[in-house]
Amino acid sequence: MNLNNPNSVFVIIPFYNENTVISEVIESLVPYNYQIVLVDDGSAKSPIDFLKDIHSVYFLHHKVNLGQGAAIQTGIDFALRKGAELLVTFDADGQHLASDIQSLLEPLQNKEADICIASRFLEKGKHNATKGRKITLKAGRWVNYFFTGLFLSDAHNGLRAMNRIAAKKIRLKENRMAHASEFLIAIKKNKLRYKEIPASVVYSDYSRKKGQSVFSSVRIFFDLVLHKLFE
Amino acid sequence: MTGIKILLTTGVAFIAVYFFLRLRNSIFDILILMLLIIAAVVFILFPDITNSIANKLGVGRGADLVFYTSILIFWFAILKLYARIRKLEQIITQVVRKDAIDEAEKN
Repeated sequence: MNLNNPNSVFVIIPFYNENTVISEVIESLVPYNYQIVLVDDGSAKSPIDFLKDIHSVYFLHHKVNLGQGAAIQTGIDFALRKGAELLVTFDADGQHLASDIQSLLEPLQNKEADICIASRFLEKGKHNATKGRKITLKAGRWVNYFFTGLFLSDAHNGLRAMNRIAAKKIRLKENRMAHASEFLIAIKKNKLRYKEIPASVVYSDYSRKKGQSVFSSVRIFFDLVLHKLFE
Repeated sequence: MTGIKILLTTGVAFIAVYFFLRLRNSIFDILILMLLIIAAVVFILFPDITNSIANKLGVGRGADLVFYTSILIFWFAILKLYARIRKLEQIITQVVRKDAIDEAEKN
């Protein structure tokens, strides 16, 4: 077991109907020698065409669209089977920086934490979120606190890193977007050591268009309520 | 027999036939269904019974009592259905996930 070997770091990228931006995202990750796991969540058009030049990635394909939470869980299951020691979740729309991954891995490699969650609102983290999004995320902190007992600075950040122990504990049952809170529920329930790490989030016109609108937070809220009721 | 009584009993009869054709195998289901159908028909034909039950419970009219209880029953049914949908969703997820991982292992 070597936590410092990039070959044992698996970066899981779930995506749905992405265009060429995802190949830029992959290109930016390649120099770090991480193992890349792409999870296609039932995209209408197969992305194989523009991915075939890149051979060093694992490619998983959902036959039907299930949601980002489900895609991440598939990636986690696969990475664990491949013997991953450290697992990273990374959004496909280019809003995260590949250079931020290392700072999330460090506390795991030093065995100070089991899971690290990126935050755009901590000191050094940069973001260009709109006012509406900022307010939603601020409200989301309290909703998360109410449902999970953890009060984090950034309610919904797609960039996370965890070790094998944490990854095994996490079973995402919310197929859609409420899975971000499920990570927190799993942390609380299994008493995992967690740490928030500042990281940038760069919204481009593309990621804004692809990503969630402020209104999808309402959907997430109801998914969370139902999660509490039915689990 | 008034028009509404004919209309409602015919409706109940149709539903009864439909369910009996589909749920032939479980005796418990059939018993419950029989009870419900008999109760429904009795209440339709003799609405005064619901009135007296309603009065005992402090509700003005029998029709109101039926309305309130049916809201409760529908709410329960929706929750049950939702739980089943979630269950189905989880099963589908497992199948699709297994397929995705198996395919990736092959390559």
